[in-house]
Parts: sequence; C-alpha cells; structure tokens
Amino acid sequence: MQFIIAVILFVGVMGAVDARIPWPKRDSGSAAR
Amino acid sequence: MITGHFGLAAGVKSRATQVPLWALMFATVWLDIVFMPLLVLGTETIAAAPAAHVGYGGVIIHADFTHSLVGAVLLSALIGCPAGLLWGTRNGVVIGLVSFSHWILDLLVHRPDLPILPGNMLGLPMLGFGLWRFPAVSAVIEFAILTTGACLYWRAALVTSDGNQRSRATASFSAALILVFGFLVLILDVTGVTG
Repeated sequence: MQFIIAVILFVGVMGAVDARIPWPKRDSGSAAR
Repeated sequence: MITGHFGLAAGVKSRATQVPLWALMFATVWLDIVFMPLLVLGTETIAAAPAAHVGYGGVIIHADFTHSLVGAVLLSALIGCPAGLLWGTRNGVVIGLVSFSHWILDLLVHRPDLPILPGNMLGLPMLGFGLWRFPAVSAVIEFAILTTGACLYWRAALVTSDGNQRSRATASFSAALILVFGFLVLILDVTGVTG
C-alpha cells in the first residue's frame, strides 16, 4: 500500500509541482525530436 | 526500499534537467511497477524472511523475473528506448540507468533473493547483501539518499530559477515536498501501518 501512495505522491504530485519550474526543455547536445 | 529510489531520482534530476521529474520518478520504480501485477497473479511472491522481524525489510522477495539481473537490464532498456525517442538518446540512457539503479539499490538491502537470470534459470547463486537484516541502518541510508537527492535537486532548481522570485519559491517548495513525501513514505514503510 505504501508503494502505491509513494507512486501517487512522487510521480503524480511531484511531477505536477516540478513542471512549474522553468527547466530547459532540450539538451543542446541531444538528438531529441 | 521505496524512499531511497525516489531520492536517487531527485538527485539525477539535478544533472538531467531536460527530463521531466515524473519520468525519472517513474523510471526509478519501474521494476516494482512491473512487479505489482505479477505479484497479484502469483507469478512473483513475497514471503517472510526466516527468523526475521516482521515488517520493514523482514521479507524474501521472489521477483525472479523483474528483479533478476538480466531482467532488470531488459526492463531498463524497455523503458529507456521510448524515453530516448521522446527526450533524446542521452536522456533515454539516463532513464534506462535510473531504472537499473533500482536493482543496484535493491542489491544492497535485499537478502540473497535476486537471481542473475530470469526465473533463476540454471540455478545460479542468488544475489543480495542483506542490509535489511539491520533495519535501522537501512532506514538511515534511505534517509541519507533522500536528503542528498533533495538537496541536489534544490540547488539545481534554484540555479534554473535564478532571477525569478516566483520560480525560486516554487523550487524551494518542490524540494521541501520531496523531503516531506520521502520522510512520510519512509515512516509508512518502516512502521508498516498501511500494510
């Protein structure tokens, strides 16, 4: 049960909060498309 | 171990800033996510460790496919490939390595229940250094990984947000949440109150 809680908190909640930080979208050296 | 995996992913985010945090968090527990349905189906199982305390770390995990060395490599490649298509080759490799880091951390704490080949084919020796035999030490190490990861994340997020007060506040809030959530999950894991 604690694993499911952890996934919700870290993947869901933390993912949403972190998305508000202006991290660079692309690595200039990568081949992202 | 749950919190330690997420702490490591937070630390990696400080160096792989182009990869969304949710993807790193997902990748770090990818092996366990695949393990869950197999556990429900009874293909992989959890049993109490002989003569062990009940609760945190007192288990033998028979995850002979998802947590075998070769299985972990294959599953990590499986998640790294689509990540590479989405965020570039380098970041795909990062996602794959974060996924495989799960096996490395599990190797430290598991009793010898990690096979080399899927299904423990050929009956090779099982791996695991068994740090879970010392629950307090394991918990302290998990907390140390969490705090280190959160600090690295915070520092990188502040640099990224430099000059923007609102973003800096979000960066600090986000890092604090990692610590709070990690500590909460560690408490739940150690006490076993949620089963």
